[in-house]
Amino acid sequence: MADTPKTRVPLEPADDSSANGTGSLDELRHLILAPEQEALERLHHRVANPEARTEDVSSVVAEAIQRRRDQGGDSALSDALAPTIESALRESVRKDPATLADALFPVMGPAIRRSILETLRSFLESFNQIMDQSLSWQGLKWRIEGLRTGRSFTEVVLLHSLVFRVEQVFLIHKKTGLSLGHAAAPSVAMQDPSLVSGMLSAIQDFVRDSFHGQSGQGIERMNVGDLDVWVENGPYAILATVIRGVAPRALRDRMAEVLENIHREYSEQLDRFNGDAAPFVTVNRELSRCLELQYKEEPKRKGNGYVWAAAGLLLLLLGGWIGWRQWHFYRWSQLAETLREQPGLVITSLARERGRFVMRGMRDPLAADPGQFVKAAGLDAAKAEFHLSSYYALDDAIVQQRAVAVLAPPNGVSLAVNEGVLHVSGEPPVEWAKNARERALLLPGIRVVDFGKFGPEQMGFERAKKDLQGVVIKFQIASAALSGEQRAKLKALLPNLKQVLNAPVELHGNPVIEVVGHSDSTGAEATNQTLSQRRADRVAWEILQFGIADKNVKAAGVATTEPLRSEDTEENRQYNRSVTFRLTAAQP
Amino acid sequence: MLGSFGVGKTSLVRRYVESIYDDVYHTTVGVKIDKRSLQVDGTDVTLVLWDLYGEDEFQKMRWSYLRGSSGYLLVADGTRRASLEKALALEQKVREEVGKIPFILVINKSDLIQEWELDPTLEAQFIAKEWSILRCSAKNGENVEEAFVQLTRKILA
Repeated sequence: MADTPKTRVPLEPADDSSANGTGSLDELRHLILAPEQEALERLHHRVANPEARTEDVSSVVAEAIQRRRDQGGDSALSDALAPTIESALRESVRKDPATLADALFPVMGPAIRRSILETLRSFLESFNQIMDQSLSWQGLKWRIEGLRTGRSFTEVVLLHSLVFRVEQVFLIHKKTGLSLGHAAAPSVAMQDPSLVSGMLSAIQDFVRDSFHGQSGQGIERMNVGDLDVWVENGPYAILATVIRGVAPRALRDRMAEVLENIHREYSEQLDRFNGDAAPFVTVNRELSRCLELQYKEEPKRKGNGYVWAAAGLLLLLLGGWIGWRQWHFYRWSQLAETLREQPGLVITSLARERGRFVMRGMRDPLAADPGQFVKAAGLDAAKAEFHLSSYYALDDAIVQQRAVAVLAPPNGVSLAVNEGVLHVSGEPPVEWAKNARERALLLPGIRVVDFGKFGPEQMGFERAKKDLQGVVIKFQIASAALSGEQRAKLKALLPNLKQVLNAPVELHGNPVIEVVGHSDSTGAEATNQTLSQRRADRVAWEILQFGIADKNVKAAGVATTEPLRSEDTEENRQYNRSVTFRLTAAQP
Repeated sequence: MLGSFGVGKTSLVRRYVESIYDDVYHTTVGVKIDKRSLQVDGTDVTLVLWDLYGEDEFQKMRWSYLRGSSGYLLVADGTRRASLEKALALEQKVREEVGKIPFILVINKSDLIQEWELDPTLEAQFIAKEWSILRCSAKNGENVEEAFVQLTRKILA
């Protein structure tokens, strides 16, 4: 507060030259307005005196700003103060940058680094998703490796595709070199943080002392084999990361950001640190943000599509070729099956040898030629090779063929084989039948010869009998005389007569040749009866002349009672003017 | 650990941390850091021991190593008077470079007491300075533990 006059200064008498009224007026004014004038004087002094004014303003400036802010006048206040503050900052930086740098250190660059962090994080997440969902062959291989080694899929991916990994993070008190915090990646062999922190500090001090580094500067990077130690220096603490691989620049920014955060959150603790690291127990969470890793990206293989297409085409061709070969072999197998079904052919094996299809087995000489089946199947005969041994097949068809070939049945005689039985049908000559019966049993596959109802012997008798009974000796009307032709016809009957009469008694008994005379219906029946008898007698006599015993011949006339044909034509009537033969068994 | 070369600083640390002693002398190059935890008056303390090399014609002391230290053992060899005098000088230097920090004067090699060169003059100086003095032997372990405990107690005080 400015000094205020403590006494009232008496008014100086007015100049005598002035009119008395003026002096009185001044005195009156003074008497009336003295306090106010003094107050004005004091105010004037306070306003005019910079020191007094400063003193007054300083006592109220804080409150005034607060009150202005409370009134919602921040915008105007900020606008008013901004230029001054900016100017002050510039001046401060010009004079001593370190002071402002230390003060701003905790907050420098967070927004910029945050965007980088988010980008990196989203990239990692998307890659993880891709890898997790990857169905690529490599992804499947890595999954199998993970299952086999007990590692997680992500870990296996990392091992194969790791670019870098931050293995350990140390937070070191700059002044004392003591460890404030430590974070390590999973499955990393950790060193004692206290020892590492101490040595790092010692090394920093050594380098700084040896190479006259400026205060605040220190080692930023050390390399040991494939390990890198990055060091980020702050005003009160040092952040050191142990990295395996090649880390990007972004990690350095991350370290800076973490260190800034720590300085901001633990500024007081860092300043008052006395060796007790208890206040920093939660700092490891912040340090863990530096435990980054990055993997390799597989280089895009140019021309992969073409390679795959070519591989696919090759596979297709290979598959087609294999398929064609298999189908080809199948056709030949089908041929082999067809041949197996043929009588007289036995196929034991089918193989592809030296580009040809070789069939091995056996063949009956009478079996069909396998070659014709090759052509029928539409296959290349040049590719076929048969190694067939000869054998006698017992197939009915082959046996039949063999029987026909060997027995040479005459016309009208057929042979058939069924399950070893040779069936002879037709009217084989007796001699042939007898011969065939003996020879057929020598043929493989024939165990029985079947001639049907009659054996060869009986077959001859029956045939002779049939022939005899089929003969018709004709006569002229009302005549019983034999013409020369008829007599010759009778003579031709002699073999049949003998065969009939010479048949074994046990088979046919004692046969009697009954000569039956017929007549047509012309004339009286009695006449016809006599005529038919005469005709029968005549023929019987003729037969007896052949040396046939008369006990074996019997003549009988039947007149018109047994006509051979109906007499509707002359030819038919002529047949009735005849003699026929009937073979009967005589009574023993 | 502070002291002239060859006074037994490393041997004291090895005796204290690893409980071993080696007669063979290997001069310390640079600094070696060890750690040991102990309990003093109910308080769990972890000592990070900086075993500094002894200053000689090859290595000069780097006082930056002492910055931030909580205390130190000032080690001297009882059989070498020069090391005791060096201890005095070092303590002075520490006060100049780093400031006043707790310490214990440890006169090592008490097992060779018959060869000691500690004369009353020097001893009087130590007493006058009200230094805490301890005689110990890294070889047989005498008072080694006690030295670190006393130093820790001074630091915590």
